Order: sequence, then structure tokens, then C-alpha cells
Amino acid sequence: MAEAGRSLKSFYLLLGGIAVVGIALILHAAFGGKAPPIVMAECGGPPLGGVAPRGVVEGADSAPVRIDEYADFECPACARFAVLTMPDVLQRLVPTGKLRWQFLDFPLSQHANSPLAHITAACGAAQGKFWEMSYAIYQHQDDWFADKDPEGKFLSYARAAGLDVDSLKACIAQRRPWPQIEANRCSGERLHVDGTPTFFVNGRALAGIPAYDDIARIVDSVAGARTAGARR
Amino acid sequence: MRHRMASAALALVGLMVSAYLLLYKLGVVGTLKCVGSGGCERVNTSPWSTIGGVPVAAFGVAGYLVLLGIAMYGLRPDQAGRPQATRWLAALSALGVLFSLYLLALELFVIHAVCVWCSVSGVTILAVFLVSAGALAGARRAPAP
Repeated sequence: MAEAGRSLKSFYLLLGGIAVVGIALILHAAFGGKAPPIVMAECGGPPLGGVAPRGVVEGADSAPVRIDEYADFECPACARFAVLTMPDVLQRLVPTGKLRWQFLDFPLSQHANSPLAHITAACGAAQGKFWEMSYAIYQHQDDWFADKDPEGKFLSYARAAGLDVDSLKACIAQRRPWPQIEANRCSGERLHVDGTPTFFVNGRALAGIPAYDDIARIVDSVAGARTAGARR
Repeated sequence: MRHRMASAALALVGLMVSAYLLLYKLGVVGTLKCVGSGGCERVNTSPWSTIGGVPVAAFGVAGYLVLLGIAMYGLRPDQAGRPQATRWLAALSALGVLFSLYLLALELFVIHAVCVWCSVSGVTILAVFLVSAGALAGARRAPAP
């Protein structure tokens, strides 16, 4: 009996050890070694840290129509636009030379995971894969928006999109693009952007969220008017 | 009794591994520590990482909790010499082994990525099966007291 008692005691010690080590490892994985928190700054005054706003641009600078889009990766309307409309814009309108599109970050403060999504997409831009990364982030928005830490999912999307994940991880951990993202957001605030997505066509705010046909019509009419003006 | 202790310890290891994968799936753990080039995350974000909207890891957590409960119940003094708990352990772990094989086949032939933590879970459930099935076979061979 005494031997059985000793054996049970050793067994319970073993179970306790497994539980303690397992829980410690999980807690370390969940909360240990985190990158610095992302803090949104106030936008008053000169551009933050001397960084001028500059978004991700597709299309020639000489294009007669310039559309700037202020968007938030956690905003459902932005996701619908990015998944349903943007691929056509990039494939059918930008190559005509009539349109220059600029994506500008506008992470909303109420969206907890949006800053990390913007950082990930911007780190993807550093590898020349912004649109692939942003499409994947938007496409899976339902899967990560409520997560406490969606970084692993973002990395998985990046891997599927063919990015160099180790380099992306380092970029995300160092929050490298954050000053640029902040500068872009503050440029939107100065333009009184108060919702996403917001579009500016040659500097003038566009009401609502356009469908592809609306954008094509705008491009044709603005570009046509410019051409006609140049002929006169 | 020793085989039930071994089953309980193994079930607890499996429970920890499944809980880790579940916390990742729920977005509590940001990145999975994984050997190799990201197979764990590819597998755990694939469409096969959920069944009917429920993360596969949640089935693992539930399964290992049940195995742990049965093994602990089998350690009660009044269960000594009774084979029921061991039979349940063998039967349920056999189902777990089959499920793990199905998941491994998905990893190898459909997802084309291997999740090391899922493999650890597969080996753990296989060990529970071998321990409990071995105990049942040994009890059959042993002469009745």
C-alpha cells in the first residue's frame, strides 16, 4: 500500500509538472517577447517625424485622373471595395494610362487590429507585393478582425501570396512603416476624412463608394475633358 | 494502474498541445512556434482547420479532456482490476488515431505542409492507444487470480 501511495504521489507530481510547464509555455507564446505597442499620435502640427504623406501608387504620374483612396483594413466597406472593385481597376483602368491610383492608410482608432494590418501591408509593399498582401488581408477580414493578435494569420496570408516571410516578420516586429502610415492618416485628417473608404478625384472628394463602372465613367469623362481642353 | 497513469500523462500533454493550437486559431497566440518553414500556420489557417465552423484543435481539446477524465477515473481505488476504463481509453484513442491519420493525409496530399504540433498530437494519441491496448492484451494473457 505504501508503495502504491508513493507511486500515486509521483504520478500527481508528474501531472502537475506537465501542466505547469505546458501552461508556462503557452503563456510565454501568448504574451512573451511582444513587439512594442502601436500608438496612434495626435495629428495636429507639422507632418509627424518629418515624414511626408505618400501612399502606394499604381499608374503613371502623368495620368490625367488621380484618385486617392483613404482606407482602413478593418473596415467592411473597404474590404468589399478592395475585393470586388479594385482588381478590375488595377487590371483594366490603370493600364490605359488615364488613371493614377494612390492607396493611403487611414486606420481608424476604434479598429484594434487595423494598425497591424496596415503595417503588414506596408511591409509587403517593401517587397513589391502591396496589392497581393492587401487583397489577402481584406479577403480574410472576417477571420482576423476579432483576434487578439492576428499576426500569425497575416504571415500565413503573406506566405500564400509568395512574400519572404522572415523579412516581413522583421519589418513588422520593428514597426518600420508606422511613421509613414501615421503621416498618411494625418494627411486624411487634414482633408477632413471622417470615414472609410473615402476617395478624392483630382483632389475633390467623391461622394459614396463607387462601383467599377462609376470609376470607369469618371476616368473617361475627366480624361476626355482634359484631352478636349488640350486640343482647343 | 500504471498504464492509466501513463495514459493520463499523455492525455495532458495532448491537451496542452491542442490548447496551444486552439489559442492560435482563436487569435490569442499571435504566431506559432514551429519547426520548418511555417507549415504549422499554413495548416492551421487552411480551410481544413475547421469542421462545421469549429476549429479542429477544439475537437482535440475536448477529446484529450475526455481521455484525461477517463484515465483519472480509472485510477480510483474501486476501479483497480476493472477493465472498463482501459477499454474506453483504447476505443476512444483508436478513433483519435484514425482522425490523426486523416489529418496527416490532408497535410501531406492536400495542403502540402506539415504541422509539427499536429504530429506531436498524433504521436501522443497513438501512444495512448498503444499503452491501453497493450494493457488490455496483457490482461487477457494473464491468468485470472
